Amino acid sequence: MAYTPQYGPGTSVVAENRRNQMNPDYKLEKVRDITDEDIVMVLGHRAPGSAYPTAHPPLAEQQEPDCPMRKLVKPTDGAKAGDRVRYVQFADSMFNAPSQPYQRTYAEMYRFRAIDPGTLSGRQIVECRERDLEVYAKLLVETEMFDPALVSLRGATVHGHSLRLSENGMQFDALQRCVLSDDGVVKYVKDQIGVPLDREVAVGKPMDDEWLKAHSTIFHSLVGTAFRDDNEYVEYVQRIHSLRTKYGFMPKEE
Amino acid sequence: MLGPETAERLLNAVVGIPGIRRLMVNGPNLPKTVPYGPARGKPNPNTNRKTISVGGTDVELRVQVGMVTLEVADESVIESIKSVCDEIFTQFPYQVQVGQYMKTQATLVDYAKYGPDADETIIGLTDPRRNDTPVFIQGQGMHR
Repeated sequence: MAYTPQYGPGTSVVAENRRNQMNPDYKLEKVRDITDEDIVMVLGHRAPGSAYPTAHPPLAEQQEPDCPMRKLVKPTDGAKAGDRVRYVQFADSMFNAPSQPYQRTYAEMYRFRAIDPGTLSGRQIVECRERDLEVYAKLLVETEMFDPALVSLRGATVHGHSLRLSENGMQFDALQRCVLSDDGVVKYVKDQIGVPLDREVAVGKPMDDEWLKAHSTIFHSLVGTAFRDDNEYVEYVQRIHSLRTKYGFMPKEE
Repeated sequence: MLGPETAERLLNAVVGIPGIRRLMVNGPNLPKTVPYGPARGKPNPNTNRKTISVGGTDVELRVQVGMVTLEVADESVIESIKSVCDEIFTQFPYQVQVGQYMKTQATLVDYAKYGPDADETIIGLTDPRRNDTPVFIQGQGMHR
């Protein structure tokens, strides 16, 4: 019998969203349009339109050793061209943001190839070849995994990001990379490390509370779905906790 | 957390209440230059870092205001602070907590800065990493 991954437990909408983001067969809902040039500008790794700097010659020009693994694993476009390894980092709010660091890593590991994610409590960084990175970053920003107010691209200085929101609903950012303009559209005025951009990059209007609640991947008893309401999830977490605690004492499930 | 305009409105309303001795504004820092990363040291323009006017005195905001700690003369002042907050926080909630949140004795930093016999009204407000003194507001109706 073929194995079908279950991705995660739970019956709540949060659990369903987590599974959807992880499942590569599920097509993430596209919410906004960002041009390739805008993504390149916000990432700040190269000037828009310039050639990709390389770390090594393209694989086609190299003499590769005779290796069965290399025959088995096809290189990505970025690896084929010898691009540099670059990164994108996201900081997510804890108030019903549409994705969270651990969830991002799970989702990216299922969906993308040739990546190296780093997961921290409030931010998540993913490194890969520059060409691939731009494709992945575009997907992460354009789809339901992004909200202009509660998720932001921050290469450095992410502190103070997640626990309180500004009075206008934006996440606190010491570098104020994105601002909520008067027409309600969030615009990036600096790239992800804090260097001012030549022009503003609009990433759309913040989503409303109802949408956020329906697309969030975090349990929150005050503003969203409470963890205790998802019995299947609680049972699963308790079981894992119990087995891990007893590990070494030869645990037997009753 | 409050934008500079709302913070100015709140602080101006609060300093008008008689019976407040000391006031401390807390929140995440808004650095003048980028502190980390490849852009470290470059200027950090930020519309939230502004000079606001509180009780007729200019105060330079270096943080985005998230919490205001007040030392009051007696409990009745807390009620008037609550009623002021009710008028200002109409779009989002606020919380008033009663307790002792300020130093009553000189800290080591106070000692290093002011020496022994420091003035009671300025202790516990010292930031060891800065040289500037607390701002003195002597507006009308202030209890001094």
